[in-house]
Amino acid sequence: MRKFRAYFLAILTVLALVVFVIFQQEDNFSLASFKPYQNLIASAIGNTILVSLVALLGSLILGFIFYLFSISKIKYLNAITDVFTEIIYGTPLLVLVVITAFLIGPAFGTYNRNLMGYIALIIYMTPYMKNVYQSGFSSISRDQYMTMDLFGFTPYQRYRYIIIPQVVRILMPPMMNNLSMIIKGSALLNVLSYNELYYAIRVAQSQTFRFVEGYILMWVLYLMITIPLSQAAKVIERKWAL
Amino acid sequence: MKINIHQVSHLYDVEVLHDLSLSLEGYKSVAIIGVSGSGKSTLIRLLSGLEKPSAGKLYVNDHSVDEEAYRKKIGFVFQHHNLFPHLTLKQNITLVLEKTRGIEKNEAENIALRYLSMLHLEDQVNKLPKNVSGGQAQRASIARALSVNPDIIFLDEPTSSLDPILTHEVLTAIEELKSLGKDFIFVTHVMSFVKDFADYVIYMDKGEIAEMGTPDILDYPKSESLKAFMEKVR
Repeated sequence: MRKFRAYFLAILTVLALVVFVIFQQEDNFSLASFKPYQNLIASAIGNTILVSLVALLGSLILGFIFYLFSISKIKYLNAITDVFTEIIYGTPLLVLVVITAFLIGPAFGTYNRNLMGYIALIIYMTPYMKNVYQSGFSSISRDQYMTMDLFGFTPYQRYRYIIIPQVVRILMPPMMNNLSMIIKGSALLNVLSYNELYYAIRVAQSQTFRFVEGYILMWVLYLMITIPLSQAAKVIERKWAL
Repeated sequence: MKINIHQVSHLYDVEVLHDLSLSLEGYKSVAIIGVSGSGKSTLIRLLSGLEKPSAGKLYVNDHSVDEEAYRKKIGFVFQHHNLFPHLTLKQNITLVLEKTRGIEKNEAENIALRYLSMLHLEDQVNKLPKNVSGGQAQRASIARALSVNPDIIFLDEPTSSLDPILTHEVLTAIEELKSLGKDFIFVTHVMSFVKDFADYVIYMDKGEIAEMGTPDILDYPKSESLKAFMEKVR
């Protein structure tokens, strides 16, 4: 109960700050002017979630490939993984999005900016996903493999009944945290005029001149997507811990 | 039980076993003792076929230890319980029985419950390893090793990760298993357990067998190194 009260107070503190900021503005606060844009905003939320899920799936696959590269006996593949990881870690997402869409895409003959935006997000998340796999698989101890040897489990049985069920439990929480990182990152696709949440609200703002309301609405909408995710990650982490 | 070791050497980075030979027959429970690094854990792993020797041959009950058929006749209990952490104690056993021994579900459950009860875990069968004590987990791992109905059970310092009370609990449970009529080969630091449970003792020092015989050698050691070892563990 004390914990609940503490959280209640903490949330109240943040709300007080928000209210203070709103009252510092000269105009009256009114969300009503965004009513005509509700369909645009709704589809933008859909696009934000869509692009994030695509990026999640893509980076899960590419991340797994890079994970395999990183444990490969072929030195070149290890080196490629390291170089790629180092470059991505050092690149701001905005820079990556712009370079992918305006330089790399055209170099390969594609001017499809949405597609390149998706690809930029996938590439950006790949090293993080690779790390998630790394920690997942390394958590299965050598002793467990020895036990599997001892009882004579076949390779298929090992993965199906012992390794994957454990790895999935370990992967889920960091994967969901990565998803929320992708959702936040997807806002940068606005530079490609991709109709995601940030872009849609900027469009509405430029026509209504309601900047305060717009930013607050944008903020709240992002939180409405990300906070349930991070809470769900916490619940899963607690329930599935090994 | 019959053990034959022919000129076995084993290297990791350094040589841990040096030209070991041994011939033993007629004992039911063989203890391997020695200081850390003496090669005793390596020897038990080689005897169980978990690791292959760098040179030489090992036979147990006339089976070469690298035979697949031999693998199916042994049980191994590690220093740490090594239960699969995502499965309950019962599932840890039923998975092994169903998938590697082809036993159908109901029968596997019955076997699992029988051995878990034998090790006094009937109230814990549906718990995950993380939710039971270290001693209970180790006993479950012994139940799992027994469940495949092995002829020989290997125990590699089964209590080294446990405190004295849990150690006592696990060792008592192992002593109760004597009535099953199985053969045991085990490594331990607990000398009172060796005296109670073993009918033959192999004392290892620096990768070689320094002395062996019935448990009396612990009270009346001949070699200087076993004397010194017994002084330390006493």
